[in-house]
Amino acid sequence: MSQPLLFYALSLLAIVGAVGLLMFKHPMNAAMSFAVTLIALAGLYGLLSATLVFAIQLIVYAGAIMSLILFIIMFLNIQPDDLPDESGYWYYLAGGAAALTPLALLLLYGINSLSVTSTPEAPPGFGTIKEVGVVLFTDWLLPFEIVSILLLVALVGAVVLAGKREGGND
Amino acid sequence: MIEHALYLSVALFCLGVLGVITRRNVFVVFMAIELMLNGANLGFIAFARLHESMDGHVLALLVMAVAAAEAALALAVIILLHKHKGKLDTNVFNLLRG
Repeated sequence: MSQPLLFYALSLLAIVGAVGLLMFKHPMNAAMSFAVTLIALAGLYGLLSATLVFAIQLIVYAGAIMSLILFIIMFLNIQPDDLPDESGYWYYLAGGAAALTPLALLLLYGINSLSVTSTPEAPPGFGTIKEVGVVLFTDWLLPFEIVSILLLVALVGAVVLAGKREGGND
Repeated sequence: MIEHALYLSVALFCLGVLGVITRRNVFVVFMAIELMLNGANLGFIAFARLHESMDGHVLALLVMAVAAAEAALALAVIILLHKHKGKLDTNVFNLLRG
């Protein structure tokens, strides 16, 4: 029965990582901090009995996307004086927090009005690859195909954008 | 537990919006957008658990695919902008203003 304890520890880790993302000046530190958030979120998915999404989160987000971001940050070789001047950070933070508070309160009110009290027991097989696959390839077939086209477009676009040579047809 | 997961998803989303508003480093802005996507994903997973339906999981997977596509394109654009301007400041990137 250590599940609630684990849940709160992972939640705290996720929040700390997200705050670190906002606070660290160098993008490398911010990216490492964000990786902590992603891995903690994977653990939370596991606790919410979403086993497939847990694995995909670790492989795609914490693995592929984060290593791509880290690779690009290292590729650009960012020195401390390349970093933008962020002198007005606290003013923006205060303004943003003030602007965001109504939205956050509205969302919290919405969650409260759901009045979720107890966690129902997950049915057997919930969140496994078979259950998700059946829904994905019956009810969500069209979005799935559209996403495949989107990935192809993104692939071609990334190659065209990043593969441009200096002084070429630009 | 589900209620607290939903609170956490709201908190992560709001932190992501704050990151986009406050930071001027283009990498951090990009990662803050990813943070917003993750907050929404946690909401999908929590609601799927609440309603015992798999649709939330499928949506979360689709969001991850979109995030991967976005990462590939956004990083290509960042490389181009860095080559062009030599800076990472979002205020310098004003090409569309003409």
